[in-house]
Amino acid sequence: MKREHVETSIRQNVEKSKNRRTGSATFRRIDLSRFRHFDVSTFRRLLVVVGLIAGTASGADPDDSGRKLAFRVGKIVTMDVNDTVVNNAVLLVHDGRIERFESAKDLAVPEGYRVIEAKKLWLVPGLVDAHNHTAGSLMDLNDMVYLSNPGLRTLETITPDNELIKEARSGGVTTVLLIPGSGTNLSGFGTVAKTGGESVDEVVVRSPGSLKIAQAGNPERFWFGVGRSYMNYNTRQTLNKAKDYHESWLAFERGDTSEKPAVDLYYEEFRGLFAHEYPVSVHTQIYQVVMTTIDMLANKLGIKTVLDHSTFDGFKTAPLAIAAGVYTINGPRQYWFDRSQRKMHGNAARWWQAGMHKLGINTDAPVVQEKQLSYQAAMACWYGWKPYDALRGVTRIPAEALMVDDRVGSIEVGKDADFGLWTGDPIDPRSSCELTVVGGKIVYDASVRRRF
Amino acid sequence: MTMPLFKSQRRVCGCDSDVVSRRLLGHASRFAAWMMAMLLGVLVGVPVGSNAASAQVIESIDAPDPKPEPKPEEGDDAEPDDSKKSDKTEAGKKEDESADEEEDEEEDADRYLAITGAVIHTVTAGDSFGKTILTKNGKIDQIGYDLDIPEEAERLDATGFHVYPGLVAVGSRGLLASPPEDDTNVYALNMTLALAAGVTTAVNGNSVGKMTYGSVDDIIVRRELFTSLKYSSRQPTARRKLREAFEKVRQYQRDLEAYEEEKKTDEDAEEPDNKWISGQYKTCLQLMKHEVTATFDANDDYDIVACCQLAERYNFKAVIKGATEGWTVASQMARAGVSAIVTPRTTVARDSRSNRPNGSSIENAAILHRHGIPLAIVPRTTSITLWGVAGTDLLHLAMEAAFAVRGGLPQDAAIRAITIDAARLLGIDHRVGSIEVGKDADFVITDGDLLHYMTLARWTIVNGRIVYDKDADSLFEHIRKGGDRDAPPPDDYWPHRLGAGQ
Repeated sequence: MKREHVETSIRQNVEKSKNRRTGSATFRRIDLSRFRHFDVSTFRRLLVVVGLIAGTASGADPDDSGRKLAFRVGKIVTMDVNDTVVNNAVLLVHDGRIERFESAKDLAVPEGYRVIEAKKLWLVPGLVDAHNHTAGSLMDLNDMVYLSNPGLRTLETITPDNELIKEARSGGVTTVLLIPGSGTNLSGFGTVAKTGGESVDEVVVRSPGSLKIAQAGNPERFWFGVGRSYMNYNTRQTLNKAKDYHESWLAFERGDTSEKPAVDLYYEEFRGLFAHEYPVSVHTQIYQVVMTTIDMLANKLGIKTVLDHSTFDGFKTAPLAIAAGVYTINGPRQYWFDRSQRKMHGNAARWWQAGMHKLGINTDAPVVQEKQLSYQAAMACWYGWKPYDALRGVTRIPAEALMVDDRVGSIEVGKDADFGLWTGDPIDPRSSCELTVVGGKIVYDASVRRRF
Repeated sequence: MTMPLFKSQRRVCGCDSDVVSRRLLGHASRFAAWMMAMLLGVLVGVPVGSNAASAQVIESIDAPDPKPEPKPEEGDDAEPDDSKKSDKTEAGKKEDESADEEEDEEEDADRYLAITGAVIHTVTAGDSFGKTILTKNGKIDQIGYDLDIPEEAERLDATGFHVYPGLVAVGSRGLLASPPEDDTNVYALNMTLALAAGVTTAVNGNSVGKMTYGSVDDIIVRRELFTSLKYSSRQPTARRKLREAFEKVRQYQRDLEAYEEEKKTDEDAEEPDNKWISGQYKTCLQLMKHEVTATFDANDDYDIVACCQLAERYNFKAVIKGATEGWTVASQMARAGVSAIVTPRTTVARDSRSNRPNGSSIENAAILHRHGIPLAIVPRTTSITLWGVAGTDLLHLAMEAAFAVRGGLPQDAAIRAITIDAARLLGIDHRVGSIEVGKDADFVITDGDLLHYMTLARWTIVNGRIVYDKDADSLFEHIRKGGDRDAPPPDDYWPHRLGAGQ
């Protein structure tokens, strides 16, 4: 019955994907272009079916116990919207998803589950870093050929099992937004990826994950005369042309016109941006620049905007940012020394105090090691933020900002089984992550080899 | 109580006349200094206007730099008796130096500070609650319940706070000058930040100084700490030369011993030549006589082992700095009796070509500690940076120790590694590193557990003076004001250009 169900869903998915603009029902050859608007769930289910068939064929139990895990833990900090915390809980994982979790006295572990006893540990959602440069190879991450390279994608650079990503797992980080560096103005499209998995297919959550714009700062070193005015002009020019491109395609798809627009890879990926399928991650900091970001991208162009860094005196724009409904992902700078007032401002604390609650923390790995994401949150707390809010700022908030909160960022039934087992408060540098689970698979076990 | 190192310790009027006059004298304008002293005396109404007093100031400045303090025995258990003894001898020396000054000193009122109500973490003798710490002239005078606090004592009600000994940083950059008393900016932002981090004693170059905010008096704790040796596999020639030097000196020692035996029977015995003993040979001799301690920069397992074997063979005291792979060779380190300065968060990837455990480990400090190796913890960046990335420099020395706890080091051992154990490694544990009667009155008073990530220093005290007060300083004053986690944002004096009603 179960198999029937899966096959039905496969059929539906195949049909669905046939109708898609770029979808392909069969994955016969390695062609990265298929990741455009990639429907991972389709592929996952396919994999599951292949696995099941293969398993049946070889005579193994189709309900492979490796896929069924039960975690008996001291505490589940779900980080859901109700801030649910369950003490002495059991959490069941099936097929890479969270099947059920309940207080241990209400939920006996059913047959066929491999039980992981961790009665002293906390189960915390896998941490999400919305600003990362290490999920791929560093060599080809930031191709600075032109000042604007929006056609580039980090998808091509992903190296699922690289050393830096292994380090990330040891810090309980399970999802990262791999974005190109900020060496150029529009440096390409990032990828939302998991830190666990052996193939690119397995780790990609969504590609494109976001558009990366560096609005000031680093691209100024690209060539003489590249300043903020030029870059703002360049950003507006590119995005407005991209919007036209998107609208001309929309008109064609609606049947308003029979004239098919020419495909232009320079603008192609922007289509999802204007369809609100993914956000723009903006390297922006300093009051003046953050203000321009909010005005130009969120208010005038109406795209989903995430203020990355947003440091120095960026927090002064909080009223604007709140009104525009943008997300702020602070870091790697966690404080700003204000020389005029001789004050050490905690960036996150100041944003929070100004009322910005869509507030997260990043590492900008490798600027700060990915595994120290929780420590970044600790530092935000040292400078005046609060631990629970900071924990939300490295789990649910970045997941929402990246628009992947339907899959990661909190412990909820049906979401991906991505979490870490911690020896205590995950923000405290004295607590360590003992076990990291990504997609229902144990990808890091400190008892085998502790990394952090 | 020891006498102050400089005669000019006498603080004429609460402002640092000596600093001012020192600077002026640097430009050979002694007259101006004299005038200054006169003027200050007149302004404040303290009778210093006599020629004798001002001449004294000048004399103290002309005097040669104080001699290096006698190096106490280090590395051993430093029983309280020992430390007291060395303290006394030191005090005795200084008394001799300043015998003629006795009368003037007597005129000064004793300076008391009483800290009440706090939880006291002595580090060496457990924690206690409700005791009072009374300091007198910069030293801890008494610790106990119901002390008789002198009328004139400054009182600090620290109810609800925690007193720890001032932290000892076994490496620092940009806090002190080298040597510290010459051109340290005692009002620099860096010094205040170090105090806000709870650091009261720091190594700079090869000497240890204190964060004596606003004064260079007593800034130096110890000079000529270590002899740095290069014994790295990357410099094979230097390595061979050092080994040969040790061997030659050892032969000399044997010859000397033989000569002394021979002399008993043969008056004409020839003393072995010692004219060649200089430079590196002299260093080797001093090391083998346990007069100095060596430091090695060694991170790879084979380098550490080589250093340990050298220290073991020629029987000298050594400190391994770095010791990233120390956890893989801890037993060799323990056998050689070396100490280690580690940074728990150091990350070095594993070399999978090796069949041994290698690379960095967060458990490094814990494993070394389990092997009985004396430890000091220091962050990777030993300066205090202002560029925005938090928690990697000396401002979060305590957090580096917290990462050692993450790796399994017991909490108390982690605190010791930034207080008493660090002081012992530097040979200054008779003065700093724990809260004990007779030691320097250096404390950091925090609003919570020292190793917690939200703990801030409320006051920092050096030589019995409150040199950092969070609420009186703009730097961190607005963060968790009064301990309130929901404290409103600070009143900024920049114009609010955005948003109405702000």
